[in-house]
Amino acid sequence: MDIIISDSALRKFLDTPATAEILSQNISLCGPTFDRTKKIAGNYIYEIEAITNRVDTASAMGVAREAAAILTQFNIPAKFVNDPYQEKFNFPKNLSKQFHINIDKNLVVRFTAIALENISVHPSSKETMTLLENCGLRSLNNCVDITNELTLLYGLPSHIFDLDKLGAQSLTIRDSIEGESIITLDGQNNQLGEGDIVIEDGTGRLVDLCGIMGGQIAEVDEHTKNILLIVPVYNHKKIRGTSLRLQKRTLAAQLFEKQPDPELCLPVMAKAIQLIKQRSGGEASSSLFDYYPVPRPTKFVTLKFKWLNDFVGVIISQDTVVSILASLGFGGTIEGDSLVCLVPSWRYHDINIKEDLAEEVARIYGYFKLPHALPCVNLPAEPRNLLLETEKESKKYLSDIGYNEVYNSSLVSLSLIEKSGLDPSSFIRLSNALSQDYGYLRTSLIPSALENHKHNQGKVGGQLKTVEIANCYQKIEGRELPREISTLAMLSGEDYRKIKGEIEALLWKLRVKDISFKPSRTPPPFFNPAGTADIYSKKLLLGHIGSIKPAVLRKIGLLNNPMAIEINLADMVLKINRKYEFHPVPEYPPVLEEMTIDSRKSLGDIIETIQNTSQLIKKVQYINSFKGKHSFGISFGSDNKNLEQSEINTLKDIIQNRFKI
Amino acid sequence: MGIKILEIDQITKEFEKDLKNTATSAEVDSLNIKYLGKQGKINHLFKILPVKTDPQIGKAINDFKSIVQDKLSTKLSEVLDSAEQDTFDVTVPGFEKPLGSLHLVSQTIKEIETIFQKLGFVRRRYPEVETDWYYAEGLNIPKDHPARDDQETFYVGDNTVLTAHTSNGQLREMELKKSPPIKMINIGKTYRRQIDATHTPMFHQFEGLVIDKGINITHLLGVTEYFAKSYFGQDRRTRLRPHHFQFTEPSFEIDITCGVCQGTGMMHQIPCKVCKSGWLELGGAGMVHPNVLRNGGLNPDECSGFAFGWGVERILMMKSGLPDLRLIYSDDIRFLKQF
Repeated sequence: MDIIISDSALRKFLDTPATAEILSQNISLCGPTFDRTKKIAGNYIYEIEAITNRVDTASAMGVAREAAAILTQFNIPAKFVNDPYQEKFNFPKNLSKQFHINIDKNLVVRFTAIALENISVHPSSKETMTLLENCGLRSLNNCVDITNELTLLYGLPSHIFDLDKLGAQSLTIRDSIEGESIITLDGQNNQLGEGDIVIEDGTGRLVDLCGIMGGQIAEVDEHTKNILLIVPVYNHKKIRGTSLRLQKRTLAAQLFEKQPDPELCLPVMAKAIQLIKQRSGGEASSSLFDYYPVPRPTKFVTLKFKWLNDFVGVIISQDTVVSILASLGFGGTIEGDSLVCLVPSWRYHDINIKEDLAEEVARIYGYFKLPHALPCVNLPAEPRNLLLETEKESKKYLSDIGYNEVYNSSLVSLSLIEKSGLDPSSFIRLSNALSQDYGYLRTSLIPSALENHKHNQGKVGGQLKTVEIANCYQKIEGRELPREISTLAMLSGEDYRKIKGEIEALLWKLRVKDISFKPSRTPPPFFNPAGTADIYSKKLLLGHIGSIKPAVLRKIGLLNNPMAIEINLADMVLKINRKYEFHPVPEYPPVLEEMTIDSRKSLGDIIETIQNTSQLIKKVQYINSFKGKHSFGISFGSDNKNLEQSEINTLKDIIQNRFKI
Repeated sequence: MGIKILEIDQITKEFEKDLKNTATSAEVDSLNIKYLGKQGKINHLFKILPVKTDPQIGKAINDFKSIVQDKLSTKLSEVLDSAEQDTFDVTVPGFEKPLGSLHLVSQTIKEIETIFQKLGFVRRRYPEVETDWYYAEGLNIPKDHPARDDQETFYVGDNTVLTAHTSNGQLREMELKKSPPIKMINIGKTYRRQIDATHTPMFHQFEGLVIDKGINITHLLGVTEYFAKSYFGQDRRTRLRPHHFQFTEPSFEIDITCGVCQGTGMMHQIPCKVCKSGWLELGGAGMVHPNVLRNGGLNPDECSGFAFGWGVERILMMKSGLPDLRLIYSDDIRFLKQF
């Protein structure tokens, strides 16, 4: 949490010659971070980030304690002064004023209260006003300002009520009931749910939204003569719940939800009484009310010196360890090779295990003093990760031959799903989507690619070619987690033969075995079935290549007709040939002959038929087609001899015969 | 005086004619074969003329041979010299090749992977859609912990989320390896319910995890410094600040000196707008919490480890000075083509 404190407030607890700059630089390295330092007339303002589990540092006193411990390590003289934990307080006893407070179970850790009389309310002194304003708070009057000032100084919020505005001399601290409401000091009417902590004044009226903000009913104003001062520590979970639900993130709420120290209640109470007397002339009129149902047991954590040195990586002498911990308020006794640490009350929640103590020692010793070492780990050899290698190689190759790689969000809109002709029920849907644009986990990369092309329409000359490699998410019935499938999608403004040549080249480079393309019977719904092929490796379907349905193009708003490829890389890598086979380089050069075939079969079938005619046919290359006649360049060759022209002619006859009906 | 031999005369004429018609070095080479080769004209003269009976004939052929040799070698130099002088306009534009582009995020991931590969880290990828156990509970974040109501996590079910960090890979890796040592870098997509200049709902993180006997804080410092200097440059420095995460103890925030103000915190006498007092936050790190080791099936009394999780786009922006994260996720080809 971020707090703002002034240099003068800090120095109420810190005696050091260190300048603001030295303070902020050095403390940031070992304790709370000083994000920014601002110089104002005669003072400095610090914006400090108190670490979330260190509510004890969210105050001038807390930062000062850290500062004294840290600066000492930098050999800068520094002393933590005015430590309220070291002071003894005497509270008035046997006073006449009586009030009752009933407290329901599990709502407070501690609750202290006292009544004061003969208050005179007026504006605060210039000094107090400046202090509060420097720290981002508004000055209200001498009494309310005292509670705010003490919050800044000690990190424990307190509150005062106008005692005469409370209906009866009997208060109840209880859970709110659904439907109740309270108008708080900011004038807002808050609708309460079940279980917000509130104080009821004995006549059925709510006077405090506990730990967050006081109620308007019992507000202290210039006519106030008698007050009730409370210094509580509430159940942190309840305060957080209420504060988040009502979006009232007051400083008090932020402190109470982080479990401040109940041992601070009496010191703060004593300081408040003292200041009220000084600044408003008020005197206690009741005895101290102190409800502390379960005082916390003393906590010890043991730290082995040897383990500490191993864990930090340097040897820190026992004396240093003990003095660092002592400077932070830890007590302790050395027992053998260990230090048994007594955890101070303000560290009760964040110090639990030896690692917590190691952090205290190491950070104050100075992380910056530690040497840097690279870990020598005897990691056994790992198998290759073919999928990651394939992704990387595919991206590299395709971007080298003219594709632009795009990263689209895994989250897509319902609208895009519907435009693509996909079924929304097959998608994983977010239960708390950020907006309609990001509601579903995509099952294909093509719809996003179509949008990419649409967004670039008219922006670039030439044919656009994009590629994306990302996971698709496939719901699996009966399983908690989806299958995350690494997928490759290419979308090109060039023609079918070009993109097909590109994917063939990629698959060849990746050493994917036995690739074939077959007219697709049931392609994904955005592919045009009249112009889409399945891509196989042997019998495993890897993906699709083809054109997009005109209706889909129209809905998306694409004017041209790009060619698309989508391949399941997770499956594809299973078909990568990892063996290297050696084929002798042919000694006898092949003979290239042109042939024209007259056939109604598909080109793929024709080529396959030619290829399968003889082992002497080394390569069949398609040239072009004209009126149902197809020209091919065919390479004939043998590994053992030069072929005679007569042998080639015979083969050509056999080929032609295979296409006679 | 030499004698006149008809055959030599004829060949001399033929040679002179051939030489005249020669313009390339390949043609010179073929004249070499034609006249001086094993089966060449000059060797032929030795065969057909009575060199044994008249030594003068042999001498005449040899004289002719050296003339041929000289002239061919002179010719070769001439031809090569003149070929050298064939000039063309070297400022003519080259034929354009289609240039694609590799996305900035891919380039950054590649850099990250390469750096950690040198340190012996194994690259991993773990689920983006994850159960509560790996994402939170097993990472020492109990169900009622305040870290749970950050409002930043996307849920896909009561017990399943889109990972907002790559730390789910920690427990997954421990389960995979079953025992130390572990040294992995998990690079993956992560998701948060945020969108502004520095947040997009989808982004990438890289998570390092090293677990073995005797792993300590100095190792975390060493790896961090190695990465920062390799990726950002030798002149950059890092620092550790205390922080708090549930799954590490102690926890740190790692800062790196600002590249804009060179770590001074000031630009032209005013505070640097990019950083906080000269430092930029790189990300979180820490020593793996003993509860997390236990949840991963390891014994915290026998091993220790460190982990860090940093943003891919974050380091890219820190290095490149790109002003808005949303730009990285633009699909404008005119932007993508710049890299």
